[in-house]
Amino acid sequence: MRINPFIYGALVLVLFFGVILGFQSAGIWSVSGKTDSSGRAVNPSATDVSTIKGWMTLEQIATAYNVPLADLLKQFNLPADTAPSTAVSKLENDTFSVTNLRTWLQSRMQPTDATPPAAPSPAPVATAAPVAVTPAAPTASTAATGSGSDRTINARTTFQNLYDWGVSKETVQKILGGDAPLLPSAVIKDYVTGRGLEFSTIKTQLQAEVDKIK
Amino acid sequence: MAIPPRTLSGSVKPRVRGIKALLTHHTFRRISQLGFAAFIAFLVIQHVVVGEESGIVTPSAEAFCPFGGLETLYKYITSGGSFVAHTHLSNVVLLVAVLVVALLLRSAFCGWICPLGFTQDMVSSFSKFLQKRIPPLRRGINSLKKRGARLAVLDRYLRYVKYLVLAWAVGGAAYFGYMVFRDYDPWSAVINIAEFSWTPGAIILIVTLVASIFVERPWCRYACPLGAASGLLGKLSPIYLKREQSACTNCKICTKACPVGLNVHTATTIRNADCMTCLECVGSCPRNGALEVKIGLPIVGK
Repeated sequence: MRINPFIYGALVLVLFFGVILGFQSAGIWSVSGKTDSSGRAVNPSATDVSTIKGWMTLEQIATAYNVPLADLLKQFNLPADTAPSTAVSKLENDTFSVTNLRTWLQSRMQPTDATPPAAPSPAPVATAAPVAVTPAAPTASTAATGSGSDRTINARTTFQNLYDWGVSKETVQKILGGDAPLLPSAVIKDYVTGRGLEFSTIKTQLQAEVDKIK
Repeated sequence: MAIPPRTLSGSVKPRVRGIKALLTHHTFRRISQLGFAAFIAFLVIQHVVVGEESGIVTPSAEAFCPFGGLETLYKYITSGGSFVAHTHLSNVVLLVAVLVVALLLRSAFCGWICPLGFTQDMVSSFSKFLQKRIPPLRRGINSLKKRGARLAVLDRYLRYVKYLVLAWAVGGAAYFGYMVFRDYDPWSAVINIAEFSWTPGAIILIVTLVASIFVERPWCRYACPLGAASGLLGKLSPIYLKREQSACTNCKICTKACPVGLNVHTATTIRNADCMTCLECVGSCPRNGALEVKIGLPIVGK
């Protein structure tokens, strides 16, 4: 049977969109980790700190865990005028990370009659002034190459960048638990999260190694 | 004894002029490709302008890449719903849509939808446009093509490279848990253009675009892993192209029109995995009934 080329083209588009719309109407669709399959914003669970993600905002965290934003900022020596809409990952520095935030929130959730665990206090700083916040957004070049002049590990830094900065493969393997990617071009964050590890923890350890070499 | 001239069964297609000449499936295909390319361009710009810090979710264009679905599929199935970095449920859904289209209508995604294919088409069309108007350029490119013709023997073997790329990209993602192909993917370089860096993918993209001046669809012919997967599945499709020998004058216009360089004029049925059913051959054929899209039994055709 012969098919008209116009009909053929129309069939292609109808079939392609039909399948997508079918899945969408069944609720099987999500274009971001920030929304669930029904398009609702994903928020941290008030009872599980492991649901906190780096892209979540301070406001989301403060609301979910019923923590005054000012207390949170003060705890981690973050500037008091930090916008509530700032993502947690954008504020990461030597003393503040997703992991530290989780630990602190977890400690706040403990019953008050129990011996309170030591909240992770920020690393001592040289001055009484709040710790300088890392730039809100990396420049295009540092974001792209992960190899800014300050040698800061970010979400796009590759293992090759680390090796170029003088960190040995053995050190990387040690931090990753005896494991290292075959391809040095692998992005550290992708590799680490793919292995089910916490990026912020690994990042802190790797950054310490980079800082030793500086 | 003189051989009687062959009687052709098809009539010559009437020459159409003016606005009617634009009402072809070729125009329809270009509009479709342009629409998808514009959508991706919108996503890329929106993601850069709005950013991720605002309360609005601006999806990355990576969330609309069907190949991301293929890379994350293993993890999605084995982990019970989690994805490799940079992929989401949308990637899996789009992959299913591409594979369903391939199963029923061959690799039409490549010919009618893929924005990277469209980009290559545009470079090739621009090259042809310039060659028509600048004779020295035409002569230069023809001279280069003649010299490069010696390498044509490699074409047959290079076409298998895309299957190796497919195995590496999918197998690597399954084994390592992250997208090993991402840094080498020219499409990834396009959609992350705002964070441009000299990744292998960016270099491959530039090579692909330069090669498109001389050869149509170089990435699709030799290296595209999604096209490889789609083409293989398309072999099971009931759709095929049929060349009616009794109506064909062997003018080779169809072969010249084929963007992936298939010898359409010597085939009786075209079921090649590389065929992306763009139907340029059908549109360019000057005779009615000589080359048509047919639906028949899967695999065997007819």
